Parts: sequence; C-alpha cells; structure tokens
Amino acid sequence: MMRVAFALAVREFVRFIRQPQRVVGTVAQPILFWLFLGSGFSSSFRAPGMEQVSYLEYFYPGVMLMMMLFASIFSSITIIEDRDAGFLQSVLVAPVSRMAIVLGKVLGGTAIAMVQTLIFTIAAPFLGLHLGLASLALLIGAYLLTSVGFAAMGFYFAWGMRSSAGFHAVMMVFLMPLWMLSGALFPIERAPFWLHVLMTINPVAHALVLLRSPFYQAPEQLFGDSRYLIALAVTVLWAAVCLLGSMARVEKRDKGVAPSA
Amino acid sequence: MIDIQHLTHVYPGSRKLPPRTAIADLTMAIGEGEFCILTGPNGSGKSTLFRILCGMALPSAGRIRIGGHDLLAEPAKARAQMAVVFQSPAVDKHLTVGENLRLHAALYGLSRSDLAGRMDEAVSWSDIRDRLQDKVENLSGGMARQVELAKSLLTRPRILLLDEPTTGLDPSSRRSFLSALHKIQRERRITVLMTSHIFAEAEDADRVAIMRKGELLALDKPQTLRALLGREMVVVQSRLPEQLEARIRADLKLHTRRHGDEIRLQETDNGASLPILEELLARYRSDIDSIAIKQPALEDVFIHLTGKTAAEIERENLETVSP
Repeated sequence: MMRVAFALAVREFVRFIRQPQRVVGTVAQPILFWLFLGSGFSSSFRAPGMEQVSYLEYFYPGVMLMMMLFASIFSSITIIEDRDAGFLQSVLVAPVSRMAIVLGKVLGGTAIAMVQTLIFTIAAPFLGLHLGLASLALLIGAYLLTSVGFAAMGFYFAWGMRSSAGFHAVMMVFLMPLWMLSGALFPIERAPFWLHVLMTINPVAHALVLLRSPFYQAPEQLFGDSRYLIALAVTVLWAAVCLLGSMARVEKRDKGVAPSA
Repeated sequence: MIDIQHLTHVYPGSRKLPPRTAIADLTMAIGEGEFCILTGPNGSGKSTLFRILCGMALPSAGRIRIGGHDLLAEPAKARAQMAVVFQSPAVDKHLTVGENLRLHAALYGLSRSDLAGRMDEAVSWSDIRDRLQDKVENLSGGMARQVELAKSLLTRPRILLLDEPTTGLDPSSRRSFLSALHKIQRERRITVLMTSHIFAEAEDADRVAIMRKGELLALDKPQTLRALLGREMVVVQSRLPEQLEARIRADLKLHTRRHGDEIRLQETDNGASLPILEELLARYRSDIDSIAIKQPALEDVFIHLTGKTAAEIERENLETVSP
C-alpha cells in the first residue's frame, strides 16, 4: 500500500515542480501576505501576554499555517482536475487499497507544504527567534501533522465535487474561516465571547498552538504544559478523522437499487 | 471468459426523477480470445455495463464471472485479469510516457524487475517506443492513445476492456490504433470487449453485440448480422448515369435511384442480385464504369434492429439522459 501511495505522492510532487507558476504562487503569496500585513499592523498590535512580540513575529506561525492551507487547497483542486481529465478512473479501477489513494494525495500535498514551510523557517533567526534542535524537531513534527490534517480535510471536501468552481466556494466559506479563526491573525483571548467559542472548538487553532509554542517554550516545558498536550491530541484526532472520512468517501461506489417489481 | 447472467442495474431516483433502469436482465457470454464489439444508441446501457465490469459501480442484481472468478464475490481476483482503456484519457499529460508507465506499474504492484522485462513488450508494437522521455502533452492524439494501450498491456491482461477508444482520432490514427489492437489481441490471445459507435470498427470484430434500452438485441458475427437483413442491391457507376438509368428502367422494368453518378437498383433477396448484375453487364458493358453488389452495412442492421430512425433515437435520448 505504501508503495502505491508513495508513487502517487511522487507524481503529485513532480507535477507541482513542473508548473513553475504554481511554485512561485504558493511560495510568494504567503510571504507577501506576511510582509504586507505584518508590517502594516505592527504599530497598532499588542497581544496580551506577548507585549514584546511585533505583529510580524506574531503572524509568522500563522503564515506557516496559511502555506499548509494553500498547499492543501491546491492539491485538493487537482483531485477535481484528475477526475475531469480521466486520470482518476484509472487509479480507481487499479487493484489498490482506498487508503493508498487518499494517502497518495495527502502525502503529495504534505510534501509540497513541507518544502514551503521549511524554506520559510529560515526567516526565524531574522525575527530574533532561535530554535534548538529538539524544538526544531517538534516544529517539523507539527508541520507534518498539520499538513496532513489540512490535506486530508481538503480531500474530504473535494472528493465528491465535479467542478473546481464549487470547491472555491467551500474554500472561501469553510477552509479560509478555519484559518482566520485559528489565532493566526489575532489572538483568541481578546475576541468576543462567541468568537472565542468558535476559536476554541476550531482544530486549526490547536494546530497553531503546536506551531507557535516551540518558538517560545523549551521542549521539556511543552510536555508539561496541558495546553500544548491538549492541542496535540486535538490535532492528531483531527488529522485521523479527516483521513478516515476521506477513505470512507473513496470507498463509496454507486450501487444500483433493487428493481421495482 | 466474460460471463454475464441476468444482470440488472437500476439507478436510484431522486425527488424529481424516478429510478431508471439502465440494464434489464442482460445475459451474454464472451469466449476466450474473442474480439467483441458492444454497440448501441446513447443511453442503451453500454456505459453502465462498462462501469460495472470495471468495478466502478455495483449492479442491482445478477452475476458476472470474469475468467472463472465472480466479479462481485472476488473482485480482486477478477480484476487482476483485466485491463481497461477509458474513453477519456487516463494518462497524466504532465508526466512523460515512461513516468506514466512506471506509475501504472506501481498501481498494479509490479516490481522493478518485472517492469524492466515488460516495458519493451508493452511498447514494442507502438510508435511511442522511442518517445518514453517525452511528456504526454507533447504527443499527438493517436500516440497518446497508444500510451493508454501500452499502459494496460503492462499487467499482461487476459481481458481488455475498451470504452470507445478511438473517439476523437483522425481516420488514419484510428485505423492504425485498431490494427495494432487486433494484432496484439491475436498474438497474445487476449479477450477484447470494446464499445464503439463506429460501425466500420465492428466489421472486423469476431462478434458484435447490439444493445438497446438495457437489453441485448443481438450478439453474432458481423456477416450473420448482415444476413439478418437478407437484402442486397446492385450499384452501378457510369459516365452517363441519366441515360443509363432511363434505359435500365425502360428495358428491364426495374426501380432505380440515382445519387450523383451512382445508380442504385432496387433491393433484392440475398443471391437475387447476381443475375441482375450479369444482365446489366451483358447489355450495357460499354456504358458501365464499375458495378458491384452492395451488402447492407452493419449500420443498416443496427437501424433495422433498433427499429428507430435517427430522429427517433435523438428524441429518446432527450428523455433518458445518460448520467
């Protein structure tokens, strides 16, 4: 199964590399967002408990999250394209497990997101953020987990869709708000109560905790911090549910109904 | 090799649409090494049958055995013997021919050493053997089709299913694709089931199945199907068609129709046209450029069996749109 998933993931990655506009777009867009919004809001932004942190720095893990979101969106759109072009049916009739089909797409999307976020991690020292090896390992683990979660969620939504236009609607009313309400743009603490509730049940907000914490707390501290551990549990659960949900969708065949007598 | 028994497929209805029967109690068998063409008007259930055979849809009722294995009970074993070529391209055009073949091999669990041996066998017959490094998007339509066929041959299938594989190809690409397909089918003793709308393709098949409204109307050799109509006609070409036509009518009291420089005599029962041809040659040899007995084409048989004019079929299609 892993060989099939790996072959499909490699295809995904090769396709990405062969479309330079996609590479430029996915790398440059979050960086532009980060620089423009980060610099623009810097003078007016104060996060409770993070008074020394500039908005450029506050927004930094949020941009990583955004990169993963976009990588997931693009790879989900390729599901619709694959179905349209006909490639998907040859995968569906092959004797491969459904999990391999899901994992192939998800790992492909994850690999793309990983490349981008790892490049972006280079910016950390310029913000005065320093990472030990253990923290870096935790951070990369968080990248992996979050990317898988996003990619699997995108897969779940895109699978049944017939047009990429329809997927754009899902993206704007569902995926983007998940990101906006994750604490990527503004801290949870000062939000109005109803927003606070939404943000607490948002799994992406928990993923952001995993991304942000390694910059500010030592690894041994993190594993004693209930907030971090809860975030870890929620994110793992989120990724697993999305993966299993996607698999169930792939498994579904159209079945003829019993002939009426 | 393919044994279908009492197959029925009913698409679930919705609030606005009642359930629709796409295949109604279909029973047919295709023997080993046979080249069978499946044809029928749009909405006749061809595509549904095809989707069921490749495991993309589960039928409402009925049994299918593929090479001795029950498709519904042992799908993996049944499907392992089959390869499928779809109507829409199933290759990734951003990848090279070689990459596509390798990806396909991975999907079917072929090891690297298996692939090395089979790569040549899969492409040796084709024009793509020298273009493995080219991206599929840079190939012609005909060559892209060859990639599809090559891909399906990698798994050494005993059964090959093709869904209108020549759609969108120019006549010469179509001919070369089909002759390659026939050659491979004979040499490797593969059972082929191919759907097609093009009756010229059906003429070379071992047997032709004609479906309508989910039922099998006929399954027989092309010549037997043609004999079903039991009619033939003499066709004459002449430099002076009008004068010749007038003389045939006056001398022989036969009905004729003229299309350009071609005179078509009335249809007769099989065998009755030969004496007419001899008579015409004896009388008007100097005025005749060419003369032949025209057998009905499979298309005529199709129209006869499905009992519809093109307009009627069109109207039906509007009522039952295939999904």
